[in-house]
Amino acid sequence: MIAAVEPRFDAVVHAPPRLQVCGLLAAVDSMDFAAVRDAVGVSDSVLSKHVKQLEEAGYVAVRKATIASRQRTSLALTKAGRQAFSAHVAELRRITGG
Amino acid sequence: MLSDMERDDLVVDPAAAAAQLKTLQDGRAALADRAMQPWWYDALLGLLMFELIASYSVHEQWVSIAALLVFFAGNFGLMAAYKRLTGFWVNGHRPGRTQRAMRVWMVGAVVVLALAGGAEFGLGWRGAMVVAGVVLGVAVALISRWWSRIYIAELRDQA
Repeated sequence: MIAAVEPRFDAVVHAPPRLQVCGLLAAVDSMDFAAVRDAVGVSDSVLSKHVKQLEEAGYVAVRKATIASRQRTSLALTKAGRQAFSAHVAELRRITGG
Repeated sequence: MLSDMERDDLVVDPAAAAAQLKTLQDGRAALADRAMQPWWYDALLGLLMFELIASYSVHEQWVSIAALLVFFAGNFGLMAAYKRLTGFWVNGHRPGRTQRAMRVWMVGAVVVLALAGGAEFGLGWRGAMVVAGVVLGVAVALISRWWSRIYIAELRDQA
């Protein structure tokens, strides 16, 4: 999934929680907000803050749907988000010499 | 957009980069742990495929339309169940190694449908589409399982 891409450091992706969020979303099409929160191990408010930053950068799309009278929020990486994440991971690998 | 603390943190040394890559690996390994669907998911998928294909042996348009509606509703239900169980969804046509399984499915389905369609509607062998339904129902269940194994292995390899 992570093809050979030009390594490029991305300050938005770089923060550990956002990097984790991008890493999870890069492996799937969409993921529930609650599942991302549990996987990253942060509170709702902390995750919301980071998701907002990713959304403002155009890296994450947030979708809200009401299912059985419960609102569910799902997150997905945009094309720009996938490119930025792949480039950032390539940069991390370059730094480690991997 | 970034806080001052985050700006100070932008210099990455090899140890920090390795730690971040390890965190990503752990996240993908955790996804892999729960990505496999339960057995009944594949069994129901196979049944839905069977009822759709076999319905063409009835030679009644309304039966096929009803079967198609059941097929779509069933698939929607399976997708909702998978999301509920795992918290995520992955498109079957995603890029990566899983495309091998999709290619096998596509080619196999086209061949079986062409042969069965020719037999049922060209040669008048009533019931050929039922046989195709059995074959494709079993095939989709097995290939679905195979697809998931490839996906999970890919997650672990990246991990």
